[in-house]
Amino acid sequence: MTRKQKRLAVIAGGVSFILAAVLIVMFAFSQSIAYFYMPSDLAKAEVSPGTRIRLGGLVEEGSVVRGEGSKVSFRVTDGGESVPVSYTGILPDLFREGQGVVTEGTLTPARAFVADSVLAKHDENYMPKEVADGLKQKGVWKDPKEATR
Amino acid sequence: MVLWIVLAVLTAVVAAVLIAPLMKARQPVLAGPEDGAAVYRDQLREIDRDLSEGLIGAQEADYARAEIGRRLLAIAGKSDATDASVVKAGPGGRHRLALSAILLCLPAVGLCLYLMLGSPGLPDQPLEARLANPGNNIALLIAKAERHLAQNPNDGAGWDLLAPIYFRSQRLADAENAYRRAIALLGESPERLAGLGETLVAGRDGVVTADALAAFERAVALNRNNMRARFYVALGLEQAGRTPEALKAFQAIAADSPPGAAWTQLVAEHIAKNGGAPAAATKAPGNPGADDIAAAQQLSATDRQQMIAGMVESLAARLKDDPNNIEGWLRLVRSYKVLGRDESAGEALKTGLKTFPPTGEEGRRLLALAREMGLSLEGISQ
Amino acid sequence: MIIEIGHYALVLSLATSLLLSVLPLIGARRQDAALMALAPIGSVTLFGLVALSFAALTWAYAVSDFSVANVWENSHSLMPLVYKLSGVWGNHEGSMLLWLLILVLFSAMVAVFGRNLPDSLRATVLSVQAWIGTAFLLFILLTSNPFVRLNPAPAEGQDLNPVLQDPGLAVHPPLLYLGYVGFSVCFSFAIAALIEGRIDAAWARWVRPWTLAAWTFLTAGIAMGSYWAYYELGWGGWWFWDPVENASFMPWLAGTALLHSALVMEKREALKVWTVLLAILTFSLSLLGTFLVRSGVLTSVHAFATDPTRGTFILAILSFFVGGAFALYAWRAPELKSGGLFAPISREGALVLNNLILTVSTATVLIGTLYPLVLETLTGEKISVGAPFFNLSFGLLMIPLLIAVPFGPLLAWKRGDLLGALQRLYLVAGLSLVAGFVLFYLEHGGPVMAGLGLALGFFLMLGALADLWFRSGFGKLAFSVAFARFKGLPRSAFGTALAHFGLGVTVLGIVAVTTFETETVVEMKQGQTVTVGGYSLVFDGLREAVGPNFTEERGHFTVSRAGVAVADVWSSKRIYTARRMPTTEAGILTFGFSQLYVSLGDPMADGGIVVRIWWKPWILCIWGGALVMMVGGFVSLSDRRLRVGAPSRRAKPVKALMEPAE
Repeated sequence: MTRKQKRLAVIAGGVSFILAAVLIVMFAFSQSIAYFYMPSDLAKAEVSPGTRIRLGGLVEEGSVVRGEGSKVSFRVTDGGESVPVSYTGILPDLFREGQGVVTEGTLTPARAFVADSVLAKHDENYMPKEVADGLKQKGVWKDPKEATR
Repeated sequence: MVLWIVLAVLTAVVAAVLIAPLMKARQPVLAGPEDGAAVYRDQLREIDRDLSEGLIGAQEADYARAEIGRRLLAIAGKSDATDASVVKAGPGGRHRLALSAILLCLPAVGLCLYLMLGSPGLPDQPLEARLANPGNNIALLIAKAERHLAQNPNDGAGWDLLAPIYFRSQRLADAENAYRRAIALLGESPERLAGLGETLVAGRDGVVTADALAAFERAVALNRNNMRARFYVALGLEQAGRTPEALKAFQAIAADSPPGAAWTQLVAEHIAKNGGAPAAATKAPGNPGADDIAAAQQLSATDRQQMIAGMVESLAARLKDDPNNIEGWLRLVRSYKVLGRDESAGEALKTGLKTFPPTGEEGRRLLALAREMGLSLEGISQ
Repeated sequence: MIIEIGHYALVLSLATSLLLSVLPLIGARRQDAALMALAPIGSVTLFGLVALSFAALTWAYAVSDFSVANVWENSHSLMPLVYKLSGVWGNHEGSMLLWLLILVLFSAMVAVFGRNLPDSLRATVLSVQAWIGTAFLLFILLTSNPFVRLNPAPAEGQDLNPVLQDPGLAVHPPLLYLGYVGFSVCFSFAIAALIEGRIDAAWARWVRPWTLAAWTFLTAGIAMGSYWAYYELGWGGWWFWDPVENASFMPWLAGTALLHSALVMEKREALKVWTVLLAILTFSLSLLGTFLVRSGVLTSVHAFATDPTRGTFILAILSFFVGGAFALYAWRAPELKSGGLFAPISREGALVLNNLILTVSTATVLIGTLYPLVLETLTGEKISVGAPFFNLSFGLLMIPLLIAVPFGPLLAWKRGDLLGALQRLYLVAGLSLVAGFVLFYLEHGGPVMAGLGLALGFFLMLGALADLWFRSGFGKLAFSVAFARFKGLPRSAFGTALAHFGLGVTVLGIVAVTTFETETVVEMKQGQTVTVGGYSLVFDGLREAVGPNFTEERGHFTVSRAGVAVADVWSSKRIYTARRMPTTEAGILTFGFSQLYVSLGDPMADGGIVVRIWWKPWILCIWGGALVMMVGGFVSLSDRRLRVGAPSRRAKPVKALMEPAE
């Protein structure tokens, strides 16, 4: 091989690696992106059962029911609609009624939500960002900081 | 004063340190290339070492030496080229400029920004020193008590003492915790139970919740003469919509109270609200009498808030039955707004405008008030 | 008064930093020795001032001076002293001050240890450092001043977030910042090289110790953070692909690439332009990380109290430095002469492959982290890119790199012999496969891929040892000769081997724990037994306990194996009094490299409690590997050759010869 050919081979190798990487990234995106919904968005949107989504909002007051073992069901609301959620596992320490929460999982054909992860944040004043934005739009919640200013 | 001296000294020291290199008469150095050469010479030695230890072959070593040699030559050439330009540097007028920059910039930037941002008048306030000499500062006294309780969490008397103080300073969660601990450690007493109940009620904006009601009922069971607890039990009945029972309870309180008690007016108000015969003389609708105000002033801040809320609600109820009262509507809108209940204020405004259309004289007064109070007029057709 | 002196020292640092940003740079352009001499002494002074300021704030925390708003917001008089002190950087303002302190510490170290640098280069580097310092001093003073006072002072503080009341906080941020901010030195060297228009192999050698130091600390910081999250959060996870974790991981990946490309540049004077770009890129990613954490644009577990003005300010700093650096790069880089040709199969070639894969995977992580943000800004749609994305894309990209790692050091510079390297490694590869499957068999179950993954880990570990083995000539030469050569190998060779070995250990841990981990969630009542990972746990009941500033419910478990009690463990749920905030304190038992992780859930109505128990086989390998990498970094850093120009360089080899027993 001449020097030129060698260089071409190296460049071709590099480019094909990058192309492969791009393909992998696109494939991974198509597999694992989860869209975020608030309950009233979810009522309007067409989400087919089985698609992974994130559902955020406030835990509805008085809706938390503990089943046997570590089964829990509760409702997530944004002041308008509310969606029933079932979850098996240990809830985060800061999971409380009336507090913001983000759950990830899939819808059942009956439009109930089966969550496999539940996030509540690590600071009692902290509201998950998507939830805060969504609730602000709907006028349910005000940033305590903004309110005092 | 000491502070300013320290700050001045600090500035002076920094300025002196920065000026020092400018003052030293220094020969301009032939920098750069020499140091690069040191690296390459070291690389050459390294190749010799690797070769002698058999880490690389003789041919590889020769190639590498040749490469490093080329690098050495390259920087040698560069240093020749730059030699001429290097010499021109000298401690000329430029340094006077640099000197004045340092002498000006440090105090000017330092002082201006510090005066803008700092608090030169405030002394340090380590907590230990403050606790040793708390004076009349309630917060410090509380902190002192908290420290004591953190070390002796089973001191029931301490919790008992602290709980009402927490309540008065609006630290409701702490108050609840303190009451519960006092009850757990010292046992139930009507005062503690009533205090706990009141804390819970205050925490829910005046709603007598089930556990609050339970606490009040136990307090009454322990001591029938605890009027505070009885009042809240009655209030709970009223809020639950059990009007006849509430009426009976309020009337019983009125009967059992000593004449001239501070709560007489409040109880009378509730008796009236629940459909009983008003105890006091009839007044203009919605205007609190002088007695009511006097009673309100004797109540604690929370009680007062609650009493005001109660009066506003009863005004709203009366206006619902008899909407033809422009003064009432005006007062209701204003009260809601003052209480921070903007939504209710808006509602009241709309309802009021149904009776007094915006085109009329009274309607215009309502709108003017709304504008003055900064209420949103959205959705209201002019 | 102490606090106000600290505040003034910070303001004075700004003035000093401003002077340092300008004067030495002018000096370097005009070859004016006096102005250039201002840089080192000024940098040391600057460090002194910021340290004074930091000490004043620390003092305020130590004595609980609640007249300082920052102390009031993040401390409590009843906290143990160690948490009061680490609380200094457990909040936005204080941690920015720590960031700054470390930045000026690095400047001061360049000033002190950089005596072998050309004066003009050193002056320019320190000036660029001072620009960064000025920007962050302005940021701290104008938007996040930790010295804001309260009058009258409150009586009690609002307590530190309980999650942060942990020894992890004392260690994790300082280490992480030493890494993050350490890359600023590489950045400054790159900018200085572009300004001076001169860059050569010597430059690479001067930058290398700083890259190595920053990389080593960042490795330690990330590993420490991961372990902290693992034991403190009570979810048993050790890496979440959280945006903020990614923010620290991206500079690490880019820094690793930089470390390797600087090697090529130093030896062969090739990849010059690329190395400069990497140096800029690495610190840009550090700045990006700072922006992501502080501005609150992304949802993350690392929720600092956020404030829009801060986000805007940091974005401005970010755009100034990144934009400015790339503009300068676009302008000056074409003037830099490139040099050094090499064959694809050579040490350089292997290092280029390393760089290619590392940069592409950095880009992958960057895309995954920023894509939701970009999409939301453009379309308003909210999405989340979770762990599956990163595991798939990043994981796949890493495999070829991991396979290639053992080959690199065995290839010669310039023209390598792949066949020779293959021949040397086939034994290693065979052994690794066997070891991988043996471990797989011992642990049972799991997909076949896991066996290959384990083999990969062993391949990396044994490959690193093989490198040393062949270099010393064991097996070819007499043992005594080979051993003498082994001892004579440069420290950097040991550093490389250790780092690659550590990588293997980490890979082993990751594969083992993801494949063989078991999770058991059960409701337990007092006296009940559950069997996990071959151990049986008896729940002995709950007990109340009181700590200095919290109360807790502690569950006690007796652990036995084959009927013999081997250990016992406490696991608890705490409530921190001041914030009334609950936390879960997991009980962790270590058996060799494996751990049993017990975490309490919610109490049930019938008196039982939900208990979550993980068996985490080989998990300590993950952080143990990082520890080995870190040791490798330090060993490499101690290499004599990185101190070229230091006076003692001639004395050393002689001494080593005279004391062979050493």
